[in-house]
Amino acid sequence: MAAINLKDNNALRPSAFARFREAISPLTQSKTAMLGFIMVMFWVIIGLFADDILFRPACWSEDSECKATPWLARYEAQQSFRGQILKDPTAEHWLGTDRQGRDIWARVAHGTRIVLALAPISVIVALLVGGSLGLIAGYFGKWVDEIIMRILDAMIGIPSILMYLVILAALGPSYLTIVLAVTVTGAPGIAKLVRSLTLDIKTRDYIAAAQTRGESPWYIMFVEILPNARGPIMIDAMLRMGYAVFAMGTLGFLGLGLPPPSPDWGSIVNAGRTHLLGGHPWGALAGSLSTATLVLGLNLMADGLQEQLNKYR
Amino acid sequence: MDAPVISVKNLAISYETSRGDVPAVRNVTFDIYRGQTLGLVGESGCGKSTVAYGLVNYLGRNGKISGGDIVFQGQSLVGRSGEELRKLRGNSIGMVYQDPFTSLNPAMNVGEQMMEVLTVHQKISTEAARDKCLKMLQRVYMPSPEKILERYPHQISGGQQQRVVIAMALLNNPSLLIMDEPTTALDVTIEAAVLDLIADLRRDFDTAILFISHNLGVVARVCERVGVMYAGELVELAMANEIFANPRHPYTQGLMRALPRLGVDKASSALYPIRGRVPSPSRLPPGCTFEPRCDYATEACRTNKQVFRALHTPITQDAATEPDVLGSHKVRCQFAEQIDPKAWVPAETLALYGRSDQFGKIPETVLDVDMLSTHYKSGGTSLLGAFGLGKRETVKAVDGVSFKLPRGKSLGVVGESGSGKSTLVKTIIGLEDMTSGKAQFMSFSLEKSARQRDLSLVKELQMVFQNPDATLNPAYSVGKQIERPLRRFGVVPSNQVRDEVIRLLREVKLDEHYYDRLPRQLSGGEKQRVGIARAFAGRPDLVLADEPVSALDVSVQAAVLNLLLGIQKDQGTTMIFIAHDLSVVRFFCDYIAVMYCGQIMEIGPAEAIYSPPYHPYTESLLAAVPIPDPTVQQSHIRLDGAIPSPANPPSGCRFHTRCPRRGLVPGDKCVTTVPTWQTIRTSDDDNDSHRIFCHIPAEELSKLEQALH
Repeated sequence: MAAINLKDNNALRPSAFARFREAISPLTQSKTAMLGFIMVMFWVIIGLFADDILFRPACWSEDSECKATPWLARYEAQQSFRGQILKDPTAEHWLGTDRQGRDIWARVAHGTRIVLALAPISVIVALLVGGSLGLIAGYFGKWVDEIIMRILDAMIGIPSILMYLVILAALGPSYLTIVLAVTVTGAPGIAKLVRSLTLDIKTRDYIAAAQTRGESPWYIMFVEILPNARGPIMIDAMLRMGYAVFAMGTLGFLGLGLPPPSPDWGSIVNAGRTHLLGGHPWGALAGSLSTATLVLGLNLMADGLQEQLNKYR
Repeated sequence: MDAPVISVKNLAISYETSRGDVPAVRNVTFDIYRGQTLGLVGESGCGKSTVAYGLVNYLGRNGKISGGDIVFQGQSLVGRSGEELRKLRGNSIGMVYQDPFTSLNPAMNVGEQMMEVLTVHQKISTEAARDKCLKMLQRVYMPSPEKILERYPHQISGGQQQRVVIAMALLNNPSLLIMDEPTTALDVTIEAAVLDLIADLRRDFDTAILFISHNLGVVARVCERVGVMYAGELVELAMANEIFANPRHPYTQGLMRALPRLGVDKASSALYPIRGRVPSPSRLPPGCTFEPRCDYATEACRTNKQVFRALHTPITQDAATEPDVLGSHKVRCQFAEQIDPKAWVPAETLALYGRSDQFGKIPETVLDVDMLSTHYKSGGTSLLGAFGLGKRETVKAVDGVSFKLPRGKSLGVVGESGSGKSTLVKTIIGLEDMTSGKAQFMSFSLEKSARQRDLSLVKELQMVFQNPDATLNPAYSVGKQIERPLRRFGVVPSNQVRDEVIRLLREVKLDEHYYDRLPRQLSGGEKQRVGIARAFAGRPDLVLADEPVSALDVSVQAAVLNLLLGIQKDQGTTMIFIAHDLSVVRFFCDYIAVMYCGQIMEIGPAEAIYSPPYHPYTESLLAAVPIPDPTVQQSHIRLDGAIPSPANPPSGCRFHTRCPRRGLVPGDKCVTTVPTWQTIRTSDDDNDSHRIFCHIPAEELSKLEQALH
């Protein structure tokens, strides 16, 4: 038994490695995707190494007394510098300081973490919900499809900002609410995409082959259909990640996002907004440009991957 | 003699890719004269279509003519700009593509599209153009052409669409007509009519035609000269009679051997596939391109390029520089004169798969289908439909089908598309719900859908599919996909699954390296083999094969048929085999059922179906089959129109609207009365009887002449 397992593993190992190389090959083959990837990775690295807290498991619990040592962020997000109010960029403070004397670069770097944690989480949740609904609607068809899709159509009919407002008003601002808001607005679109892919894929002969083996609908949906829809879903997810970053920026800017002193990018822009005309655009600029570069990076990645995917067809 | 309409000399076409130029076509030399049809045949990937696109300079952004010359009506077409070409060529080259539906613009009605062809190229009034279009439609035997002009492409049948496309191509009276697989997407009956039309038009318009097809039978019917292409080269070129009677190139000979002839069955002969596969144009063998697959190859073949020369001339003489003389026989093989195809011995002797009941033993019935019907409700997808309020129409895809099938035998199901063949097997396997009737498999009832059936029953019924590209899930490796049924049905203990997969791969003549390959790394034939391995993994008793070889090339088809026969014999599997190719069914099956519009018209032992007495529909099908032998005479019976919609089948005998023998029945009995089954031959075995569903008495049907002679 053990011997056979060993043999199995040996046979799988090269193929698993090959599969990994193949999975990232569209990225390395397209210049567009590579550029986007570099832009996104820039923020990922800033987020990871803003300070050392992510690398000290002892500090992860809420009530620990740990003091983080800033790395790439250079200072802490809430650290005020006496007499350094609304300063222009200097060697000390790369992007200047805000009204409360806090280093803007430090706030942007710490804010990266919030953005890069919440955007993927909310998109993944939206994918799980929307993807499942789309699969079910597309695979079962008939009245199941009708009912699911008409409800989702009704949700698409509500403007997303209005939807955010309703959800935030009802539940109050928190991480969870933001994830929920992005999920609720994103899921119908994902469901539509997955449904159309399912409708196409379910007519293929290998689905009929699975049905003639008496496989359950869930097996067919998640094991036979879903892996073949992953390309377009991944591209869509990347674009949606961009939208989510935008949505969070919008919420922060409107003052509906996380409560102060949260350093999320939307809040930074909102805080800097009042000083735009006062000759101190640094806060607003830093928050906006950060959002823009991250969204652009995600979009470029999606574009490049799309291009590669079309090439295979 | 006149100058040729088009003269292709040493044509080479290559595609630029990121890994350098790929020579798709090399050394192609031929002339076509007025009123002559040259057929180009060969397997997929041999460059037939590339030649056609090269002639009209439609090679796409990365294609280019990299050598040779194309002289059209005395002027060279190579190396000129697009505008110059347009002027030179004018409107005197017409082109007809494979799929008529995609050649027509769905947003314009037929009249507008046809008139556009005229008005774009010349100043002509709308009325005159319309008049010309109408005449042309009449010329292509279009029934009620005025009405057709007003219709949109989706409102007319496939055969009519192809007629419109041909009419459009002929509107400007071209001197050269290029047809790229013009009948491949059509049913045999319609194909036969379109081929007749092409032959007529050539005679009347005196057009030169380049006819491309993978089907040797089709080429034999319409072409007087045939060129065989292999791996981008023309390997043989001769008059059609000559090439079919006396093929000189080993590849042509191999193609002929791989092809089942109508009337030949598995008991009397074997099909010999050509080993190996067509080399990719980026990795051609250094010497003769066919050398790796050739039974006659010598050391010299491996290193020396072969020249294209006329038979009985020294091998140094390259015919590419010679004028192409009509009637000459050219070949690209230095041993062409010495090779005797009759003396050919297969590298391995293939066993004949005779009928298994030599000892008079009657095998038990495994499948008993009784008055089976499958009706669909169409138009029930709206929200109203969810509440049962939608307007619905019943489509009677299968309507009252009965047959019995003994163990270990194969039943072939033939008929035009839309006759309900696929629905029948899908109902038996449980992918569609039956509406009424009974189907019994051994002691199991097949009433429930596959999902609700007992696993022990599910295991016994498996299916082989038509399209090699859709039969395997692209996301999983070959091994994983064969594993699934093994695990699901618990065929072998889980620690032996991998060994069993490898055994199955070997069974379908693939080695164990295929275990980790992904479907897109396989060729069509290999995918089909994996599909067969998967179907047979659970050791089913009944395998339903839905056109398993239709999408494959001739040489691969032979190998897959042999494989299916071998596994069937080893495992004693009962099979239902759907096909539209009557020669393949005849070769493969013990019994044949001919279906039309949801009903069986005739059923019986394979050999009985192919000679009188037969149902008039069977007769029409036989008369339409393209036979790869120009000397065979077929009776000239052509069916009009398309198969009626199963939502609204004709009354009485369903075939009465198209029946060529209706005159044999007095009055309107065919329209009003449903025929009864006539049993032609009764043996002790009930399964062996030959039954015909027709009003015409059997004695009279026996007097019908042979469809092939």
